[in-house]
Amino acid sequence: MDKVLNFLVAAVLAGTPLLFGTAGEVLTEKSGNLNLGVEGMMFMGGVAGLAGAYYYEQAVGTPIGWVAILIAVACAFLCGVLGALIYGFLTITLRANQNVTGLALTIFGTGFGNFFGEVMHNSVGSYVAVCDVTKNAFSAGIPVLSGLPVVGKLLFSYNVLVYLAIAVALGLAWFLGRTRKGLNLIAVGESPATADAAGINVTVYKYLSTCIGGGIAGLGGMYIVMVTCSGVWVHNCISGYGWLAVALVIFATWSPLRSIFCALVFGGLSVLRYYLPLGIPMQIYDILPYVVTVIVLVAISMRNKRESQPPASLGSAYFREER
Amino acid sequence: MKKKLLALLLAGAMALSLAACGGNGGNGGNGDNQTPQTSAPTNAPDNQEPADNQEPAGGGLTAESIKIGFVNIGDESDMGYTYNIVQGAKGMMSALGVPEANVITKANCPEDSTCETYLRELAEEGCNIIFATSFGFEDYVIRVASDYPDIQFCHLTGVQAADSGLSNVHNAFANIYEARYLAGIAAGLKTQTNKLGYVSAFNYAEPVSGYTAFYLGAKSVNPDVTMEVKYANSWNDPTVEARLAQALIDNGCDVISQHSDSTAPATTAESNGVWSVGYNSDQIKAAPNASLISSRIDWSVYMTYAVQCMLDGTPIDVDWTAGLAEGAVEITALNDAIAAGGTQEAIDEAMAKLISGELHVFEGPLNGYNAFDESKTVSELVPAGEFYDESSLELGSAPSWDNIIEGITES
Repeated sequence: MDKVLNFLVAAVLAGTPLLFGTAGEVLTEKSGNLNLGVEGMMFMGGVAGLAGAYYYEQAVGTPIGWVAILIAVACAFLCGVLGALIYGFLTITLRANQNVTGLALTIFGTGFGNFFGEVMHNSVGSYVAVCDVTKNAFSAGIPVLSGLPVVGKLLFSYNVLVYLAIAVALGLAWFLGRTRKGLNLIAVGESPATADAAGINVTVYKYLSTCIGGGIAGLGGMYIVMVTCSGVWVHNCISGYGWLAVALVIFATWSPLRSIFCALVFGGLSVLRYYLPLGIPMQIYDILPYVVTVIVLVAISMRNKRESQPPASLGSAYFREER
Repeated sequence: MKKKLLALLLAGAMALSLAACGGNGGNGGNGDNQTPQTSAPTNAPDNQEPADNQEPAGGGLTAESIKIGFVNIGDESDMGYTYNIVQGAKGMMSALGVPEANVITKANCPEDSTCETYLRELAEEGCNIIFATSFGFEDYVIRVASDYPDIQFCHLTGVQAADSGLSNVHNAFANIYEARYLAGIAAGLKTQTNKLGYVSAFNYAEPVSGYTAFYLGAKSVNPDVTMEVKYANSWNDPTVEARLAQALIDNGCDVISQHSDSTAPATTAESNGVWSVGYNSDQIKAAPNASLISSRIDWSVYMTYAVQCMLDGTPIDVDWTAGLAEGAVEITALNDAIAAGGTQEAIDEAMAKLISGELHVFEGPLNGYNAFDESKTVSELVPAGEFYDESSLELGSAPSWDNIIEGITES
């Protein structure tokens, strides 16, 4: 029983950074922008979140945990927005190729993260590490409730960012399915020319969804730095998880609700090896999440359901003059 | 029109990047990095280099004139493996008075043919001795060394120098198992569940030798202790390392050690309220409530030795290793605030015995199975009263112990 519980908790924790990246990318892609720079934006958000929390600590001396969280979240979000804004300007205003721009953003963001991580490291002269108060704030579960037997550990023992990730995904699902603005956004992604003719400001929708999506992806990077690495800057710490988030968008078939489930499954499969020894080679375990992704993709393309298709204009720039 | 513009831009970018590549190899002339294996680079040393390189044979090199090259897999911002190498290089430079301008470092070199390009660039820039510092560089070192017989190539952590038939290729390692044994003592005294956890990058001899020594150190002060090892299959992936550490802690381990580069195992231990033992750098700053002690290799000892040989005009050993006695491996300061009482004394005592030769790390009786044996058949590895001498150079300088002994479970 304990083993199952530990496994489920580990799966949720492993899935959370992916959920941030996936939810952000779903929002971005719904506007027809394929932003492959999630990895880069996660690096940018990660280093900005750490810098925010670290310099807040240095400035006040005795930090308050929840203030550190708020500052880290705000810094990571804004830095993710900054990355997405570069991408948005190039692809929406200048109509550059989306794939190339996204790849460039990955390279830029990786360098940005490692560069500023190293700048901080050089100025400190040792590990850039936040103090105990901040570390605890980022790892603590919900007080009182987390003390309950079984349920407490299963539902209430997570850090606040796990709940934030789920709230973001639920909020996006509500926004896209239940609000007029959300439906407008979907229209922009499906057929920008039609949306334009209907009086929807395509440029504004594309910019906002790309930037907010980038900000959410940035939170995923901050999760890796502040929770997985406990607020210590580790060189190259994102190491490919942004790319997994891009893949998970397809796995989740562009649905924020399904992305919660998919991130959990993906997280679970990626920690399976550590909790369920079957005596099979570890390399088999390590490819499991990807094998499952391929199988799901094959199944989806065979069923060919209309609602599980990508936005029709995904990847192409919108030229009003070409209508 | 737009498409034409784009095509032009792309072509321009390509031309520029080619020019940039050419610039790198410019010093060597010949544009040799575009023709990696032809005779072009070999011609150059034949014609020009001998004039420079007859000097070392005659002992004419001085600390001011020697040129030293480094090829590193990362850069020092990793605060782990490469950081430790760079610290070693700095130690060597200050010990011998080599000015910074005489050292050329190629950082962030992947373990592919980029390494060959870098090595050739260093050779063409007139380096007298080149240190290649990652295991995966070995094939490129041997290939390049055969083209530059007058330049000495020192490959850290490698295994092929003795068999390569080249007199200018050298391997070096250090007896890190001795330091890990001492670090294991701190873990063995601290553990309350009598179960240690170990995040190991891979399952070949270098990590296996390290964790076996760590376990034997713990066992020397705590006979009931067992250890669980999990493999990350990567040197630096903090997410995987954190998950592994969490899984080990979930399985009841309360001291986590590591043979991987990031601080994630230490900080994961800290957030779970258990302890950790680090590697390569002092991790107390990163996890003040968890990190007990770390072990590290002091590469400056070997680098100083090798460069001193160049200055003296004496040959460098084909295989080199040294340990606690020579200061080539060491343990960092013990975290007194959290270490168990008497830890420092126990470590000091064991260190004195290891240095005097009274105590051996791999001392029999040891039973177990080979790490690559799928059937995991346990047999006697070292009989009682004997010991396995890993520092013996007959086996090369790199760690050679690759058996899983009783008391250790791995998955």
